[in-house]
Amino acid sequence: MTGLAIDIVKRGGQRPSEQFSHTKLHASILAACLSVRTPPGQAEVIARTVTASLISWLQTKPEVTSHDLRRIASQHLHTHHPDAAYIYEQHRITI
Amino acid sequence: MDIPSSLAIVALAALIHASFQLSVSVLTLLGGHAIGVKKTQARVLRLTTAFVAGTAVMTMLLLSFAALVFQSFFANAVPAFAWALVCGVLAGIGLAVWMFYYRREKGTSLWVPRPVASFLSDRTKATKRSAEAFSLGLVSTIGELLFIIGPIVVSALVLIELPALWQLAAIALYTAVSLLSLGIVWMLIGSGHKLSQIQHWRESNKYFLQFAAGSGLLILGFYVYVSEVLGSTIGGL
Repeated sequence: MTGLAIDIVKRGGQRPSEQFSHTKLHASILAACLSVRTPPGQAEVIARTVTASLISWLQTKPEVTSHDLRRIASQHLHTHHPDAAYIYEQHRITI
Repeated sequence: MDIPSSLAIVALAALIHASFQLSVSVLTLLGGHAIGVKKTQARVLRLTTAFVAGTAVMTMLLLSFAALVFQSFFANAVPAFAWALVCGVLAGIGLAVWMFYYRREKGTSLWVPRPVASFLSDRTKATKRSAEAFSLGLVSTIGELLFIIGPIVVSALVLIELPALWQLAAIALYTAVSLLSLGIVWMLIGSGHKLSQIQHWRESNKYFLQFAAGSGLLILGFYVYVSEVLGSTIGGL
């Protein structure tokens, strides 16, 4: 699962691209779930499921933008936890 | 100007200050990050309290500093031209708030320089200790200086015409009232409300808040103009 060699093009193209990290994706989804007071066990299950869905979406892509990754993650997260998906979407557009 | 009128102007200016949202946005993010990394509720409360305290201290410092500067220029009597200038500033900021305060996109992105927004966002994520949260509160108040400069300047001018003890009371009043919106979000986070509900409310009502802040500035500017500029001109004739 961690062996995907996909470049993530960062927002605005100002920062250099980085390798896809499933740990980072998992942590961000977990944090979104926990921040809306989801019980830790449920948050962990949701984060694992959404990360797996994202990895299967990424299989055929050599590179994606961080914006697309966040958008698709949010779509998947929405089916499991709409509140967490909302916070996940809002992260970059709160300030 | 009599003391009740002065305090009323300070309270209205502080209420307008409270309707600006940068510190509220940072507090919402800070709460989200703290809860998201499994910090205990007590730790979340300590971080958010330190942030609010930082905001309060910087608000007090800015107001006191502005009052000190004006006092050194005008002693205890503000000339009509200074009031007129401040009214122009209030009207200008009011119109700018009406037109630009929120960005025309989803979310609650504000019309603050993007590097400032990115810096605050990154620092919010990196904040682990109460001292850092306190500093973040100080910085976020400076970050919205572009908008709060109007209410602060008019309050400072009112302040220097008050007796010394009332000056302290007015500073306390301004600080307390300007923290109202932040205090409400702090209480909601502290009492275990979902951040998604808070953010959703903020997003749904952002244009109302923008309209209220802009209108407040225009009304304050108009009131000060009538009472201090026209009043002194007509009274002087």
